[in-house]
Amino acid sequence: MIAGGSCASVLLAPPSPDNLPARAATSAAPRSMEQALTLHGVTKRFGTFTAVDSLSLQIPQGCIYGFLGQNGAGKTTTIRMVMSIFHPDAGTISVLGHSDASEIKDRLGYLPEEKGLYKKMKTAEIVAYFGKLKGMDSSTANDKARALLCRYGLGDWLDKKCETMSKGMGQKVQLLGTIIHEPDLVILDEPFSGLDPVNRDMMRDTILDMKKQGRTVIFSTHVMEQAEQSCDYVMMIHRGKLMFAGSLSEIRKGKDFGIQLDYDGDGARLQGLPGVTRINDSGKHAEIFLRPGTDPQQVLRAVLDRVSVRRFDVREPSLHEIFVRTVEEAEGKHSATGGAH
Amino acid sequence: MASKTILVAQREYLENVRTKTFWLGILAFPAIFAISIGIAWVMEKTKGTRTYAVLDYSETQVAGTVEKAARAGDFAWSIKRALDDAGIDPASRPELHVLDDLELTPEQEAAARAQIPEQRRLALERLLGSTAKKYVNVPLAELGLAGVPREQQERDLGAMVNDGRLFAYFLFDHDPVAKFEGSLVYVSDNRTDNDLPEWYSNATTRVVRKARIAAAHVDPKTAKDIQESAHFKPRKFDPKTGETSDVKKDEVANKWAPVVFVYLLWIAVFTAAQMLLTNTVEEKSNRIIEVLLSSVSPGQLMSGKIWGIGATGLTIVGSWALCGLIGVKIGTRLVPKIADLNLGDIVSDPLYLASFVGYFLTGYLLFAAVLVAIGSVCNSLKEAQNLLQPVFLLLMIPLFAMVPIVQEPNGTMARVFTYIPIYTPFAMMNRASGPPAAWEYAVTTVLILVSVFVAFKAAGKIFRVGVLMTGKPPKLKEILGWLRAK
Repeated sequence: MIAGGSCASVLLAPPSPDNLPARAATSAAPRSMEQALTLHGVTKRFGTFTAVDSLSLQIPQGCIYGFLGQNGAGKTTTIRMVMSIFHPDAGTISVLGHSDASEIKDRLGYLPEEKGLYKKMKTAEIVAYFGKLKGMDSSTANDKARALLCRYGLGDWLDKKCETMSKGMGQKVQLLGTIIHEPDLVILDEPFSGLDPVNRDMMRDTILDMKKQGRTVIFSTHVMEQAEQSCDYVMMIHRGKLMFAGSLSEIRKGKDFGIQLDYDGDGARLQGLPGVTRINDSGKHAEIFLRPGTDPQQVLRAVLDRVSVRRFDVREPSLHEIFVRTVEEAEGKHSATGGAH
Repeated sequence: MASKTILVAQREYLENVRTKTFWLGILAFPAIFAISIGIAWVMEKTKGTRTYAVLDYSETQVAGTVEKAARAGDFAWSIKRALDDAGIDPASRPELHVLDDLELTPEQEAAARAQIPEQRRLALERLLGSTAKKYVNVPLAELGLAGVPREQQERDLGAMVNDGRLFAYFLFDHDPVAKFEGSLVYVSDNRTDNDLPEWYSNATTRVVRKARIAAAHVDPKTAKDIQESAHFKPRKFDPKTGETSDVKKDEVANKWAPVVFVYLLWIAVFTAAQMLLTNTVEEKSNRIIEVLLSSVSPGQLMSGKIWGIGATGLTIVGSWALCGLIGVKIGTRLVPKIADLNLGDIVSDPLYLASFVGYFLTGYLLFAAVLVAIGSVCNSLKEAQNLLQPVFLLLMIPLFAMVPIVQEPNGTMARVFTYIPIYTPFAMMNRASGPPAAWEYAVTTVLILVSVFVAFKAAGKIFRVGVLMTGKPPKLKEILGWLRAK
């Protein structure tokens, strides 16, 4: 037991695979299975609205999997069905080899998008409480909660009420409540939203460390860069339908190359470049797509006349570009069919 | 499965009971109750002396006799009260028959005082002193109005009443012995405190009645016999002995006790159910529900909340019961007459206690199911308040029915309320003094348990869907759809 409000110095090290919650011997069994999660033809309707439409997906064990999609695309509904919070109207879901996630809730960790804490509860108490709800015995949960909080730099907040913490600290506590019981499958719904850069890095490191531990991590996000940096596989859902799924290289395969450009100057001057079909301009960075047969060197020369170039690179399109194109294509089809589901 | 429900219940319970505000809130109720009684007592004790003057322009000059009769009446009342406190029946002391007289000689007063047990004499003198100070007649001479013309006396007395130097003045005119109408006038600025005019009227009535009896040449004893009021002595029949015996004060209190229990039951059910509603809405609005639902089922979460807050409600009720027992102990010391009511026995009566706990739990569970369902579909307390109004109106009805049911615990009204499930706990508690037949206890227990089961099932279906909904609250049609869903 760690004394209230203080942590042993050995526990103050930053999170790493070595000091993340160790896997319990009892949770080793599912690792022999191939898929952590399988969805087959899963559909969920709310009245006349179809939130998820015949979604089929296979998520291998031990990977980091990104759920991409716009707001209202069906990501959270899918996650809720996986967690057995909602039940699908059609299709089947297999989680860690079980058809009903409620049978193995204690092996799952879930951090919803809308995160909340009991404001009047003490930090260590609430983390331990989540552990107990996942089947941990009281003393183990209490000890582990305190140890985890210390490891994540919240040693001074063990016995302080949640209402006294900052938003970032609160999110850290929520994450620890999600992983305290050493889940085999961790599902994080928009884990990066609202986090400052330091806490975003902490979240990213924790996700990567969980993968190193052999756990499967699924997270949903709007931020393509995060998915690009961390995910082994991604899927994109739009208006409830699966748009694409696979590894990043698979998804990029066959897509036209583009010029990645870091520049200084007036981005408006990049418009109207010869041989260019499309420009994603972010102000200091632009992604430029060329017509087939266009020489990138010619485009570079034209660009140099207009702005000051700091970096020039020819490579596959970013996930952001793929995402935007997919949405635009889907919306085009959607408009053409009169918006019918 | 059950252990997660217990974990949720435990957290809900501890979250409430370990805060200082919870205990302050619990103690506030008996404290406010005690303070209210204390304030009323202090106000009565510290009520200012009512000063009055008397103008006697009556033909028979009755004012002097009325004043003496009023004081003799106070003396007789004080003596009778002292005897009552000592447990002595005044009728058993022939020396006290003189107390009905309009005037008492010092010897008669001394003889009456002698009837009071030694240890109660001091209390009697205190009582006599405070009674004498309650109303004080200020002679006209002291006011500088003796021998002054009547018009000026009335004008000046009116001004004194007006500026607060006098509380009131009385005027005797014409011939009150012959006719009251137009003979008796009372002038005061206070229109709400009628103690003084009632006290003085009572004395005047006795004086005038005696004069009229004398004028009619009726024997005083005959007149007294004629005026005697009829009074049926309440007795109870004992089927074992086949005889009747006197009804004691505590038995009357015992019959009325369910009213107090129903009131407490109502407050306890109302308080606990409202805590549950607030808690559900808060958890929904601070988005913790979904985290919990990843670990427990909606049914476990709902049951855990209901049981946890139910235990909180029992703690509230238990604390009040303890305060009540302490209050009775203290009250018995301060006011010995309370001991006659045996309130301690009532509070610890097994039937009342078992009924109270049993009906609190069943009543709470029934309303908790309704309120948790309402809470789950609301996004804010304001929304919940709007939906709650009809429920609270339904909850008010048992309060209005309390007195009629306790007066006729096995009557038609009591029976009708008994078999309406939402009122069953209140009606059965209300009827406990009856008490209802054993078969009624059996039937209503089945009825309430089935009702609780059905309410839980329905609430569970609403809770499961409602608790994750955001935005506009669902329409009744949608909720009915959830209830029909398997």
